Amino acid sequence: MSWEEIPGFVETKEGHGETTVVVEPGKIRDACRYARDELEFNFLADLVATDYLGWEEHAVSGYIGTAAGRDLNRPMTQGLQALPPAKPKRFSLSYHLLALKRGAPRVRLQCWLDDDEPVQSVVSVWPTADWHEREQFDLMGIRFEGHPNLNRILLEDDWDGHPLRKDYPLGGEPVRFSDAE
Amino acid sequence: MTIAPERSSTREWPIVGEPPYEGSRIPARVPTILDVPEALRETDELFQVNFGPNHPSTHGVLRLIVDLDGEQVVGLSAVIGYLHTGFEKNMEHKTWWKAITYPERIDYVGYQNNELVFVLAIEKLLELEVPEKATWMRMLLCELNRIHSHLVYLGTSALELGAISMFWYCFRERETLLDLFEMVCGARMHTRYFQAGGLAEDIPAGFYPECRKFVEIMPGALDDYLTLLDRNQIWLQRTKGVGLLSADDAIALAQSGPILRASGVDWDLRRDAPYLAYEQVDFRVPVYTGGDVYDRYRVRMDEMAESTKIVRQCLDKLERMEGRPWIADDRKVVLPPREELHTSMESLIHHFKIVTEGYRVPEGEVYVAIESPRGESGCYVVSDGGPKPWRVHFRAPSFVALEATATCTHDAMIADLIAIVGSLDSVMGDTDR
Amino acid sequence: MTKRLRDYGLQSERLLWPTKGPSRFEEEIGAEQLEQALGLTTLEKAVRWSQTKSMWPDTFGLACCAIEMMSIVGARYDLARFGMEAFRSSPRQADLLIVSGRVSHKMAAPLRQIYDQMLEPKWVIAMGACASSGGMFNNYAILQGVDRIVPVDIYVPFCPPRPEALMEGIIRLHEAHLAGVPAAYERKEVAT
Repeated sequence: MSWEEIPGFVETKEGHGETTVVVEPGKIRDACRYARDELEFNFLADLVATDYLGWEEHAVSGYIGTAAGRDLNRPMTQGLQALPPAKPKRFSLSYHLLALKRGAPRVRLQCWLDDDEPVQSVVSVWPTADWHEREQFDLMGIRFEGHPNLNRILLEDDWDGHPLRKDYPLGGEPVRFSDAE
Repeated sequence: MTIAPERSSTREWPIVGEPPYEGSRIPARVPTILDVPEALRETDELFQVNFGPNHPSTHGVLRLIVDLDGEQVVGLSAVIGYLHTGFEKNMEHKTWWKAITYPERIDYVGYQNNELVFVLAIEKLLELEVPEKATWMRMLLCELNRIHSHLVYLGTSALELGAISMFWYCFRERETLLDLFEMVCGARMHTRYFQAGGLAEDIPAGFYPECRKFVEIMPGALDDYLTLLDRNQIWLQRTKGVGLLSADDAIALAQSGPILRASGVDWDLRRDAPYLAYEQVDFRVPVYTGGDVYDRYRVRMDEMAESTKIVRQCLDKLERMEGRPWIADDRKVVLPPREELHTSMESLIHHFKIVTEGYRVPEGEVYVAIESPRGESGCYVVSDGGPKPWRVHFRAPSFVALEATATCTHDAMIADLIAIVGSLDSVMGDTDR
Repeated sequence: MTKRLRDYGLQSERLLWPTKGPSRFEEEIGAEQLEQALGLTTLEKAVRWSQTKSMWPDTFGLACCAIEMMSIVGARYDLARFGMEAFRSSPRQADLLIVSGRVSHKMAAPLRQIYDQMLEPKWVIAMGACASSGGMFNNYAILQGVDRIVPVDIYVPFCPPRPEALMEGIIRLHEAHLAGVPAAYERKEVAT
């Protein structure tokens, strides 16, 4: 299957045996409909938003591991601190799709969003996206245009803020003799 | 709304059998809310009942707002979130090692499956090889956990429909099972036995004979349950033809696990996308085509029998693996054995680094899905290369299963509603995370 | 010589340290008022005995602890020998609220409502670490201890408590009640 045909195609990435297809957020509904109808990905397993605020701020040294993990071209694996590669925008929205056929092919459709950038809802493509999108709206604050019932689902209706964002504190009460965690 | 392209009249795999109804019953406006029909909205006949978060049915804190016309359910909407715990946020603040304690409490009935999916995700990012003994033991424990989950389902859903004595019979087997868990892992529930790289400890002596005893009594126990329920007219009348869900609707609503298999879709991740060592064991995938509560019950009963078969095969394999390693050898991730700490400086340093700072997982994102007792349970992990996860998200099968309540409750009476919600077998911890 | 709880037959500090000083509870009640707090007439003793023998819990299972609470109703750890197998669904008919599981802020209001609907005398057992103190979930979503909204009589630690641990909690509650210890709502306010 060739991913370049998908509407709004930007690039594909491979990693750990998984394919990630990055599409433009403005065309995500068409891309999803294409994936469902042309490529037979009729099962939306998951819809996840990730907040990358602060991603490039602290250097990490990755896996200083066995020979399989070390790679001279990636200094992070040698124990040297390096900044992780930059991300295009603040939020990534990943649609994990599965095709119910032999071999169980999976793909991740991904689009990148800024803060307050709305994205089209895919409820008309897979009805199951209803609650998934509500959950991501509730916890991450991503607005889905065209969603028939975009209300908070897991938190109370009058909750302030979106807890899973990186600038929202963990909360709870301070515990003596322990640090932030 | 379009749900899926129209299927041709010849049903092709994985869909088998004829659909229980034509077309789609997914509500048109909002897929998860059953709207009261126009004609009834203005009348005085409607009675709105709040099945509040605390209710007699033992499914945890689910709130259903039900509109009733007499006994008929004409409007339904589910409110969840009463058990929202902020797992995903909490796990971002713990090291990878400590974060493994959290997923178990998400689906607190099939706890080892949640642990497994998270540990598999870490191992996929680390590209770590897990020894065979650990793989087979994980499989054994996950299948025992599947039996545990189905026993709890059977006991509680039978209790709700009035077959109260089933509760005690199911919990009798459950206690034997929990004794097995306690013997191996040290705790009855929330065992925290899986580690990134294998198992936390070796399998204790005496486990295999005890597990064999359990495997011998389980088929007899299943016969007991079938005798009590399967020919009971009340049970049959309360479950047959109730809560219908066709295969196309189930796929559109992303149902998985027993709900999908009871609707005539022959799909099981253990067979179709095998993980652990499932391609090396012999088991059957039960599929029923009725799409009602009775078929979901039969799927789970058959799955218990199949799980017992898998456990027997795992035992046969494991008994020949005495003395083999139970965890990977990669000292950057796995703690060294305690005896070595007295003699080797490197072991001491590694132990210190792993315990204090935690091992670091390379940068990347993965999605791992397994077949938990409720369906496809997935874990999406994003790592920034550091000692703590950047983002963890669990694809909760119960969350998705509750989306189907509105579709299944088409033309249902209020008594059927209890049967339907019971058959969807959602655990609220899994739903709300 | 000031009387201690164990002189009234209460075994709150079993076995380990016979010569320990007064417990926090004894200090709170006060040595002088202990006599008054625990003094019982024969009729009161009889009433308390019968209350203990059929203290019906409310079906308030929230999370993992609920599964262990269900297993004490099971045949191995039989709760029926204490007369408590009748879990009432309506809080109006229940005496004991076993808060089993983590209480989120969304659930806190229904919890308080249910507690208010129960009729005196009523007791609360905070089962598990999450109900006692928020457990491992020190975050925005979970109430850090159910004693912030309802007064708690007994805290049962562990995650989840073994059925035997929960039974010990229930038995201690029975003993305390038999000895005359007032229920929590008479003794204390909710923690702030």
